[in-house]
Amino acid sequence: MPEGKLCNTQNVDTEEQLQALLNDKSGKQYYEEMNHLEVDAKKLYATIQKTLKSRLRTWLEICAHCGMCADSCFFYLANKKDPTQVPSYKIQGTLGEIVRRKGNVDNAFMQMVMDTAWSKCTCCNRCGMYCPFGIDMGVMFGYLRGLCYSQGFVPWELKIGSGMHRIYRAQMNVTTEDWVDTCEWMAEEYEEDWPGLKIPVDVQDADIIYTVNAREPKHYPEDLAEAAILFHLAGENWTVPSEGWEETSLAMFAGDWAACKMQVESVYDAMHRLNPKRMVVTECGHAYRATVVEGPYWAGLKGGQTPIPSFHYVEWVAEALRTGKIKIDPDKRIKEPVTYQDSCNYIRNAGLSDVAREIMSYIAEDFREMRPNREHNFCCGGGGGLNGIGRYREQRNVGLKVKRDQILATGCKLVIAPCHNCWDAIRDLEEEFKIGIRWSFLKPLLIKMAIVPDHLKPEE
Amino acid sequence: MFEKIIFATTGTPTCDHAAHVAFDLKKKYNSELTLFHSMGMPSRGFSPFVKDSRTGEDEYLDNDYADWVKEELKTYYAKQLADTEGVMIETSAGESHREILRAARKNDADLIVMGAHSRDEEPGATRYRNVVGSTMQRVAKGAKCPVLIVSRPCTTCLWYFSNIIFGTDFSKASYSAFLFAYQLAKEIGAKLHLFHAMDMTSIHSGKAVSQEEIEAAIADARKRIEKTYVAKMADYDNYEIEVWEGVPYVEILKFARERNGDLIVMSHHTREVDPEDAVLGSTVEQVVLRAACPVASVNRPDKVS
Repeated sequence: MPEGKLCNTQNVDTEEQLQALLNDKSGKQYYEEMNHLEVDAKKLYATIQKTLKSRLRTWLEICAHCGMCADSCFFYLANKKDPTQVPSYKIQGTLGEIVRRKGNVDNAFMQMVMDTAWSKCTCCNRCGMYCPFGIDMGVMFGYLRGLCYSQGFVPWELKIGSGMHRIYRAQMNVTTEDWVDTCEWMAEEYEEDWPGLKIPVDVQDADIIYTVNAREPKHYPEDLAEAAILFHLAGENWTVPSEGWEETSLAMFAGDWAACKMQVESVYDAMHRLNPKRMVVTECGHAYRATVVEGPYWAGLKGGQTPIPSFHYVEWVAEALRTGKIKIDPDKRIKEPVTYQDSCNYIRNAGLSDVAREIMSYIAEDFREMRPNREHNFCCGGGGGLNGIGRYREQRNVGLKVKRDQILATGCKLVIAPCHNCWDAIRDLEEEFKIGIRWSFLKPLLIKMAIVPDHLKPEE
Repeated sequence: MFEKIIFATTGTPTCDHAAHVAFDLKKKYNSELTLFHSMGMPSRGFSPFVKDSRTGEDEYLDNDYADWVKEELKTYYAKQLADTEGVMIETSAGESHREILRAARKNDADLIVMGAHSRDEEPGATRYRNVVGSTMQRVAKGAKCPVLIVSRPCTTCLWYFSNIIFGTDFSKASYSAFLFAYQLAKEIGAKLHLFHAMDMTSIHSGKAVSQEEIEAAIADARKRIEKTYVAKMADYDNYEIEVWEGVPYVEILKFARERNGDLIVMSHHTREVDPEDAVLGSTVEQVVLRAACPVASVNRPDKVS
């Protein structure tokens, strides 16, 4: 059987396909079909010849196998320094091998490649900082995932995820109607406590266009209300688009580059349509990476910039606190020891570490750094889509140990994690190891600490 | 006032007493009753795992599982469903309080009936650690309609209730609670007890209050009840006003006990919704936890005016 009914090289473009995948309990049939999936070696090598450019080729060739990358990888550390977890080994044994064999690899090999690309690398890009040549295995694994996807070797959840983006332009089945209705709902639910609170949809020429992670309307709509409250407190002229509101990209985790392009273009279209001055995205790391850092290239935008200046939520928060748009009540600052989870995607890969420290300086009295930190911080353990893949739950849980020990060493019971993926991983870490910590986004903490001007208080 | 009822249930004994009341109301008022169960959170965001809110086990969320949950609910409530027609069963996956609120909004419910739901991580453990579920608290806080919380056996049918206790702190939200209490009292011919407890907890911060001051404040509160509530009751005269002083939740519980209260109605409008802070909780939580009778939380005017 060259192509399965569920596991194949087709894109998921219709609701029927999506439903069929969803109905396949834990991807049982999907992974069974994968065992019979044929590798199209010719196509694989043609793709490589077309897309494996000089940078990656050079990286593959100049790797001196020095092993400097080994200790940089949290999987290597968490797995008792297992040599098969050394980043250079992982990439040489997969992508390197495919290139050397000119694409002539079999099904078993490709499944090994898939397992490596998704369960032994979260594309956190930490190894790239320690390689004397600057070889970034994370980038290469990102590329490799694309090859896997094109051959149909992609974890079940991510096939679904990229299908969601193709169909709904969101990582979950949240339609435009659902989204707009959720905005109305949240404004309704909170306006009693916050008179005048609005979640303005599709307002032209606003100062800020705010975009989110589909999980928020789907499961945590309070987060949207909290964002609205903070914009309201800061007196911002802001809006959300009715379409193009989703910043995340499971398609990026899946290596489905065409879906990546569709997704970010929906956001860029909203920018063009509503003509806002700048864009702010919610507390999500990979959303920022997808839409702000990588997206412009997917969309073929010259200069690698989004159509309007784009900011991560932490940048907006730091600005609001710095300029006094939001004032913190000194008595309500966080008294207990608190630490900050540096998200790979906007700290290491987009350089926002100072911004995070600035925020902590305004809100925390006993801020304690994890070690290492900033650009050198370890991945939470669940990045790159790993959190969501059932097949690799065990590997993920082993990897969480590094973060667990880092947090324990700070002595903090509260971890601020302004990234959905990190937030999830740390929650799961607590579930798995029960170390007695709490974790939070910035928004609920800020609302508790902010001084509410009299004119914004409810009448009583 | 009971046209559309949502009974939010965990499908465990925690909700048995609430089930009794919900099905009773449906029969008496011919209400549209929806039996609603939140299946738990797809815990890894986009992944299909959910933590079953009854067993705490990880399950794969798909149509099979949803159907199975519905079947389980049908089995659990087989007796009630056998002699009640047209009960709808709905499930959804997510955070319980959010999904209950979503369903209430979608169905335009007039009333949510629930047990004192436990926290998600402690399935079925309602009163064991004096922790009332943050689910209940969050539903009470966010709902547009009255929320009736039944955590102990309610032996009298609601329409035979003879003493309704309305506890007020004179907030805007309390006025909505009053409207519900008053309409219900009028509807079923119960006596309405308009009650206020002067909060004396500040005494512990060292502020001494003289007996004269207390008495003056009590007299003030009585006047305020007259002006705010009694004035709105037209010629309804089956009521009494009572003002006590002390710790509010203790006083309202004592009062309800003394007057054989069948139902306590109050608002729950605190801004603190952080589950951390809810462990010992607000007045309404304490009342729910300890009251012998059902408690209705009403915060908004939408479904009562």
